[in-house]
Amino acid sequence: MAKDNYDGPILEIDKLSISFFTRLREIPAVMDFSVTVQPGEAVGLVGESGCGKSTVALGVMQDLGKNGRIVGGSIKFKGRDLGQMSMEELRDIRGSEIAMIYQEPMASLNPAMKIGKQLMEVPMIHAGMSEKDAYDRALQVVTDVKLPDPKRILNSFPHQLSGGQQQRIVIAMALMSEPSLLILDEPTTALDVTVEAAVVELVKDLGKKYGTSMLFISHNLGLVLETCDRICVMYSGEAVERGSIETVFNNMQHPYTQALFRSIPLPGADKNARPLVAIPGNFPLPHERPNGCNFGPRCDYFEAGRCDQGFIPMEPVPGNDRHQSRCLKFKEIDWNAPLTVGEQKEKAPVGDVVLKMDNLKKYYEVAANALFGGGATKVVKANETLSFEARESETLAIVGESGCGKSTFAKVLMGLETATEGDILLGNKQIQDTPIEERDTQTVADVQMVFQNPFDTLNPSMTVGRQIVRALEIFKVGNNEKERWNRMLELLDLVKLPREFANRMPRQLSGGQKQRVGIARAFAGDAKIVVADEPVSALDVSVQAAVTDLLMEIQREHKTTLLFISHDLSIVRYLSDRVMVMYLGHVVELGDTEQVFSPPYHPYTEALLSAVPIADTSVEKQHIVLEGDIPSAMNPPPGCPFQTRCRWKSEVAGGLCEKEVPPVRRLAEGHQIKCHLSDEILSKMDPVIKIAAE
Amino acid sequence: MDPLTWTGALAPLNLALLAAVAVLTLAILANIIVSIVAPDTGPISVNPDGTIAAATGPGAMIKTVMRWSFFATVLIVLAYIVLGIVMGTGAGIVGAISQKMVPVWIGMILIFAVSITQKRKLGLYGKLFDSTIGMIGFGLVLFWVLVGIMAGVFDMLMTHDPLSQVSGMKNKLPGTPMRSPEEGEFAWYLLGGDNLARDVYSRLLKGAWIVVQIAPLATLFAFMVGITLGLPAGYYGGKFDTILSFVANLILAFPVILLFYLLVTPEIVATGIPNYMAAVLFVFPVIFFAVLLNSRFYTQPSVRTPLLVVVLGGLTWAYLSLISTDGAIVAAATYTVPGLPQALDWIQMPPEILVVFVSVVFVNSPTVFRIVRGLALDIKTRDYVAAAQTRGEGPWYIMLWEILPNARGPLIVDFCLRIGYTTILLGTLGFFGLGLESESPDWGTTINAGRRLLSLYPHAALVPALALMMLVLGLNLLADGLREESLRD
Repeated sequence: MAKDNYDGPILEIDKLSISFFTRLREIPAVMDFSVTVQPGEAVGLVGESGCGKSTVALGVMQDLGKNGRIVGGSIKFKGRDLGQMSMEELRDIRGSEIAMIYQEPMASLNPAMKIGKQLMEVPMIHAGMSEKDAYDRALQVVTDVKLPDPKRILNSFPHQLSGGQQQRIVIAMALMSEPSLLILDEPTTALDVTVEAAVVELVKDLGKKYGTSMLFISHNLGLVLETCDRICVMYSGEAVERGSIETVFNNMQHPYTQALFRSIPLPGADKNARPLVAIPGNFPLPHERPNGCNFGPRCDYFEAGRCDQGFIPMEPVPGNDRHQSRCLKFKEIDWNAPLTVGEQKEKAPVGDVVLKMDNLKKYYEVAANALFGGGATKVVKANETLSFEARESETLAIVGESGCGKSTFAKVLMGLETATEGDILLGNKQIQDTPIEERDTQTVADVQMVFQNPFDTLNPSMTVGRQIVRALEIFKVGNNEKERWNRMLELLDLVKLPREFANRMPRQLSGGQKQRVGIARAFAGDAKIVVADEPVSALDVSVQAAVTDLLMEIQREHKTTLLFISHDLSIVRYLSDRVMVMYLGHVVELGDTEQVFSPPYHPYTEALLSAVPIADTSVEKQHIVLEGDIPSAMNPPPGCPFQTRCRWKSEVAGGLCEKEVPPVRRLAEGHQIKCHLSDEILSKMDPVIKIAAE
Repeated sequence: MDPLTWTGALAPLNLALLAAVAVLTLAILANIIVSIVAPDTGPISVNPDGTIAAATGPGAMIKTVMRWSFFATVLIVLAYIVLGIVMGTGAGIVGAISQKMVPVWIGMILIFAVSITQKRKLGLYGKLFDSTIGMIGFGLVLFWVLVGIMAGVFDMLMTHDPLSQVSGMKNKLPGTPMRSPEEGEFAWYLLGGDNLARDVYSRLLKGAWIVVQIAPLATLFAFMVGITLGLPAGYYGGKFDTILSFVANLILAFPVILLFYLLVTPEIVATGIPNYMAAVLFVFPVIFFAVLLNSRFYTQPSVRTPLLVVVLGGLTWAYLSLISTDGAIVAAATYTVPGLPQALDWIQMPPEILVVFVSVVFVNSPTVFRIVRGLALDIKTRDYVAAAQTRGEGPWYIMLWEILPNARGPLIVDFCLRIGYTTILLGTLGFFGLGLESESPDWGTTINAGRRLLSLYPHAALVPALALMMLVLGLNLLADGLREESLRD
């Protein structure tokens, strides 16, 4: 049982069942779940929120809290049953042989302790290392996770680091004692895409270097494809399909996996010809699971009398080693049958210009001392010379990472802030200097917004109907209460929610349903321009497709201009007509979707494209990892904003990038970029995403 | 007639009560010790059907003992009450009081029965009945509220006039019979007589009304002031917030007792300062409701105008009658500020109560201000606030209809706690002889009056002190229960 000479599987979970016990009932969270992790192997655990993937991780750590119990099966770590161990034995294993990395890096670090001290603690407690050795080891590991200036980092507090750096420290802490198993629970969800790509790259490299096995929990199929060797798909507490990445991605044998893949946009999919297929229905609550197959009620291949009877076991797929599926009918289903495309929808033709921004600038002045207003003021340049046009029934995507100025831009457009300089023309009215209180009702109703977080977008203490009616009141729709109430019911129809929802409280709705109410509220005054701020990024994959489709459909009917703010390039490519890429307040690239997604690129666009994980094995991506973090808008680099992270910088002679902000250049009709690179070099760029010939 | 003993014919029950309480105390102590060393349950086994079973460990056994001795205690206390109702003075002082309190018991049983059967429809109040602590707290508070209303408004429950003195009853012990009771008069001083030979029991009940009335009302006013100022301070921030927070800190830093002494000093009262303060502090509810309704209904003038006229008319009238006495708002030595004429003045607030009110509101509102400001700072970052902003809602609508309802949980809890503090504050004021007249039966004044003879005849001071403790304990438990239940779901 020694730590070093064990060569069986690192982790064997066999028919594990975990339940939570509440006052009312037992809630089964995980049922009949088996997975094996071999040494050096990375296994991905994929599923929607609430499917029990985090519970499995907590089960492995034997940290289920007061109400959680393992009610069946076993978890063996290096051949030893974790369930039989005493608290002392478990304490020895946790943090030293099994390490866990959580989603929110700041929550995993003690804010009152210096980084170095927190790292050194691990080997000092587990291996009884001396302080000096522990310090050397900490320095070594911090260098390994590619943090600049390790000595300074060890001597700083967590809040002095950026989110990406904090997550690297958490990874370093997990690696301090060279664990045999690393559990990563959505480790990059809180990070920006380019930072995420770098962290994923790091985890992969370290996995190889240290030979650590990994259990990688994520909802993102693309991410799992990039990091893992094997995958296990979970649905409603059960593993439904399990196998190596290639077999599951190319030769799936479970209807849920198939539905999951059909609901995410893949490169090359056209929004009008091949709409995303949302999974119908809702995720079942743990105590309302159906008989038989849990996925039955939402499955296209459901057969009454067969799929809804009794227990369905996991069965091996013939001809494929270690590939299993929990479906009675997987041998009968024709997995290669083409997707039956529903009615094809014609996109409404793009009309006149409804919104025009010209040289828009927004600067904030930040006083150094808030209380007495003294000291020097700093200027934050949130938006720098923004110019674009948006037309009727067009979708303009605004892409960029946090801090790029897209929220400021939305605020200025909505009138929550006024512009420092430049013009915003709505129709032919100048609105850049009119704060929202001074705008007339029609202008306010014309520009509306859909928010990101579904749990925050509705007032929790007002019924759904009341909130929409309030918007109608404000927009002066309808002459009396009755008319408004009827209009509200029509709006609920529009977003495909049952009319009974009018009297529900927001807490009784699921995330997707809340987001629909948010959309209905935005369209209360027949908005002409809707700013959608990451409207689906907080939703589960299967719900994302439905909400996206709803937005597109309303756009087709109402000829709305959609300003779609997102960092998810797959969904942007799927639904937008034109794309605007922003970095540190600058528009670095603007053009048709086709133009932006194919070379020549702006170097930042190129990196963004490469950073987005794509759940398709036939896609070959160029690998570009951006070094470092996004500079602060308080203190932007001189010259080109992107020069600190640009990999093409050396191609421009004379250090021009560090001296001058590049001018806007027109590459083709409607395609512009802000870059110093010469035309020759731009034309030499390779496409980032290539679809391999089938 | 013989003096009454405490429990009369029920004396055998005392031993049982003593035993039950002793067991309960021991069990609680044992539980604390055992929970440190041993787990709750023995080894856990899983049955084939998926349920789990745990062997009973020592911890669980002690818990059982604790539960049963608790039930036993409650049962014996109930027995005192029920038997007391039947036997009256036959069951001693306890029985007599229990019999006198029959209307209160009926009221409590009715309210509890209705609330428990309807608890799913009653929101947060209904959820209170899921928590034992909350129910105990609510029961204690409800008891004093009912006593206050019945004794104070309807003159029920009491045995004697709380102000009349009876010869020969000075400083008599609880249960002393009267020397020559008149026909139909209750023949005992149930809780004894005070140093002016008044019935302590009747004064206690009458005093409950003053406490139950002033404390919640004063707290309500403090909340109105705190909310009306705290919401904009949190929502707008900036200079406005800086200045208001500074003023709040200033008030909080000023010694409260000194402030009270200053406010009731005749010289200061003569300058009319308390009246000016009342005029300022009491206007906040009017502002609050005006803004509340206007921001909500301004889009529909046909609803808004009549509503505002009626509500504001009523509130303004109440406000003016509240602050004017004898036709003047301020009656200083050299000048008067005319107020509402006597004929229209329907709230007769004695000047000393006004001073108490003003001081309690004045010292409580800064704390409420800070709580509300903090909550507003947090909630204003939510998306639904941004959504309201982007559809062009006014700032007051956002503050009062989007932010305030979502801050209600902590505010309700704080409201209950604050009534408790205010009750103690009133007691303190009464104890220092500030504010209320010395005749007043309120608890603080009574404790102060009884204090001088505390070593000889403790009952006159002890009875109201215990009552005060019981009410404040009830309010704190109620707040705990509400906090616990509002965190669930």
